[in-house]
Amino acid sequence: MGTIGATLIRAGRRFLSSLPALFGVLVFTFLLMRVLPGDPAVFFASGPSAGKEEIEIVRKQLGLDRSLPEQLGIYLYDVGRGNLGRSMMTGQPVAKDLRQRLPASLELTLTALVIALIAAVPLGVLAALRPNSLIDHGVRLFCSLGVCVPTFVSGLLLIYVFYYLLGLAPDPTGRLDIFASVPPARTGFLMVDFLLAGDFEGWWAAARQLMLPAFTMALFVIAPLARITRASMLVSLGSDFVRTARSIGLSRWQIVVTYALRNAILPVITIAGIVFSTMLGANVLVEKVFSWPGVASYALDALLVSDYAPVQGFVLLMASIFVVVNLLVDVLYGIADPRATVA
Amino acid sequence: MYPVISRHLISASAVLLSVTLIAPAAHAQSRAETLRYVTAATVNTLDPNIPGSTREAFALSMSSYDRLVSFGRKQLNGKWVFDLDTINGELAESFSVSPDGLKLTFKLRPDAKFHDGSPVTAEDVKWSLDRCVTAPVLGKAQLLTGSMTSADQFKVIDPLTFEVTLPRPDKLALPNLATVYPIIINSKLAKLHATPEDPWALSWLKENEAGSGAYIVETFKPGEQAIAKRNEAWNRGSSDKPASLKRLIIQSVPEPATRANLVERGDADLVIDLQASDVQALEAKSKLKVISTPQYNAVTFISMNNKIPPFDNVNVRRAVAAALPYDDMFKAALFGRGAPLFGASWADGKPPSGGYPIPQPVKLDLEKARAYLKEAGVPEGFATTFSFNVGQASTAEPMAALVKESLEKIGIKVDIQKLPDAQMSTAINEKKLPFFTEGIVAWLPSTDYFYRNFYTGNQRWNYSSTDNAELEKIAQAARFEPDKAKYEAEGKELNALHFEQMFQVPLWQPAQDAVMAANLDGYVYQFTRQVDYRNLSRK
Repeated sequence: MGTIGATLIRAGRRFLSSLPALFGVLVFTFLLMRVLPGDPAVFFASGPSAGKEEIEIVRKQLGLDRSLPEQLGIYLYDVGRGNLGRSMMTGQPVAKDLRQRLPASLELTLTALVIALIAAVPLGVLAALRPNSLIDHGVRLFCSLGVCVPTFVSGLLLIYVFYYLLGLAPDPTGRLDIFASVPPARTGFLMVDFLLAGDFEGWWAAARQLMLPAFTMALFVIAPLARITRASMLVSLGSDFVRTARSIGLSRWQIVVTYALRNAILPVITIAGIVFSTMLGANVLVEKVFSWPGVASYALDALLVSDYAPVQGFVLLMASIFVVVNLLVDVLYGIADPRATVA
Repeated sequence: MYPVISRHLISASAVLLSVTLIAPAAHAQSRAETLRYVTAATVNTLDPNIPGSTREAFALSMSSYDRLVSFGRKQLNGKWVFDLDTINGELAESFSVSPDGLKLTFKLRPDAKFHDGSPVTAEDVKWSLDRCVTAPVLGKAQLLTGSMTSADQFKVIDPLTFEVTLPRPDKLALPNLATVYPIIINSKLAKLHATPEDPWALSWLKENEAGSGAYIVETFKPGEQAIAKRNEAWNRGSSDKPASLKRLIIQSVPEPATRANLVERGDADLVIDLQASDVQALEAKSKLKVISTPQYNAVTFISMNNKIPPFDNVNVRRAVAAALPYDDMFKAALFGRGAPLFGASWADGKPPSGGYPIPQPVKLDLEKARAYLKEAGVPEGFATTFSFNVGQASTAEPMAALVKESLEKIGIKVDIQKLPDAQMSTAINEKKLPFFTEGIVAWLPSTDYFYRNFYTGNQRWNYSSTDNAELEKIAQAARFEPDKAKYEAEGKELNALHFEQMFQVPLWQPAQDAVMAANLDGYVYQFTRQVDYRNLSRK
């Protein structure tokens, strides 16, 4: 009981202390977008007959005719009420856009992270058990390849092989086959929604759609995870307690998994948290290649056309997720290493 | 030895992938009656009038809404294109222009119904057109070009008769009513959703469709897809039958290679925005139908700001025009897919036609270019920047490199500047760019329209910042010129002036490459530069 309470208090304190940072991010992004050259009013008033008057209409609509402090005040007030503004690009409120797109990104990123962890941890452990052996070099080569090949190249390659040549994968256009029916939206996560609706055929269709992009993303992040696993496994395999365990004659499995790996997993959790946050924001290319309706490609499109509100909303969302992920990593620390909760 | 292991790992992951991917193909709905159209762009509003509407939104609105009239089609070099000179009734069963040209009278189809089943009346037409000229929408500026500026000009005669009064005879009035914006909206339905702040129901119509068109919008997810089903009661096409395809799927697929794969594998039926290289490859395989139409209402330029030195000197502009490697640019940027506007020979130096744009008698001639530079008083050349926007990088990037290389030979040092789309349009609007490439498009491509909109005034579309009193005078005169022969003569004068002053250099009209399933029929190049889904059928 006591340790859970301590963890919660610590998490709460952490959360409060991150609020000023979130506020800073908010103001900074707001200013940054306005400093960047590129006038959204001119861009969006670009029908073949749009003149000065149309530009002024759009400018007024966007509230860009007001002074900067005034705009900032209105923006902060709106954000405080949960209104992130309206996207010119999609014509929808940004909060609605993000709410629809975030589950898509999260589903993809989480799946990719799970795949990456399932592949990377055993690879890292194997490499650490036989340092400088063939296996170690093989893992290193595989990791380097994964990192070297940009995701859009590996994505296009996977599409070419599994969709174009073999015809095994469904067409790489979004989360669900366009002819399939969508489950009633409850969580926004298709895998969950299909299960809740009891539609296993639909679940399978969505899973198939998810595989190629998830593998593409996983390939890219296996490397950091495998390398960190290897490094921290090496340290923990060389430590006193493992030697003791060996001398007592415990089984190899028990030594490696129960003792060495549990002690080596802390840095992996940290890196996994960072990798997750980065993947969520930086998987633009994967989202583009697979027409995945996620938040990152949304933000990039908005940035290219100087659509302020979506970019600001996206950065705020990412900052918040970063905070939450860090909190989560903190809590996981406590589980992996009881010493962390005492402090 | 390493490769052995890595091959094992790769094949292991391949096996893993294959296992997860094999599944029965479950395509419940009938594919043959569905059109799946994939595009890089996205439909962002169901009302094309909303500022910021995309071209895809225009295209969908052509199918979901009816207008009073529509353009016919004609063959141009063996390909079907829209025809500005043939106006057909759409919601109008018949229409007439009074002898003095001041009154347009429309008789509505008595059987026309909106998607909710209520009849289309002259009241709806009036409300819709009033909205177009009164509300803060895109239609306002468009209808202005057809002398329609005020709600007073629109009159309901009886429930099925509608009249437009013009302040002066205007040949662009009728064609204007066939453009994207003057959609006829179900006014009773829209008014239910109007508010005191939003009397024209702009925000409701943005997300809800209230039309009478050939397709009824079912799903609309901005940035992802729009799905529409056929309106069985629609009879406004030339054949008086509903559209041929039952369902319409418009899907955003940002990656060009994926779009090419989809259409090649037959999973998508039609795409018009592939990369030129992909189109060439697909054409070579000849499994699909490729219809390449030069966009005859669009022009790509290399523009020079006539107000920024040294481009204020006509001889500098002539020098640039003589130093551009036209053929190489055409091949590198477009793979030769389009209609060139260079390399013509004008007999006795006079323009052969009063149309716009026409091929110019320009070609790469470095000697001549050097002579012009000398005449301009800058024989040593100068330094400048050449800008293009990221959105056009696939064509503009190779072009910019060739421009730089060629101009270097006559002493002009060019710095290439690649700008994000919004930055580029801002810089153009503020007249800050000296030298750049851009394109224009006109929905109603007549000579005077091009010259008035793209060569006059301190506005964004006057790329070259041309300020020429003579040009303005002739173009304004041509605007209301009823006599065809005189209009042609004025067009020739304008073309001669353009070549003499070399305000900017028209390069080409890029082709619109429509790549489609072999059994798809009826594609027509439209003024929107988009597909009109109503034209299509399956053989």
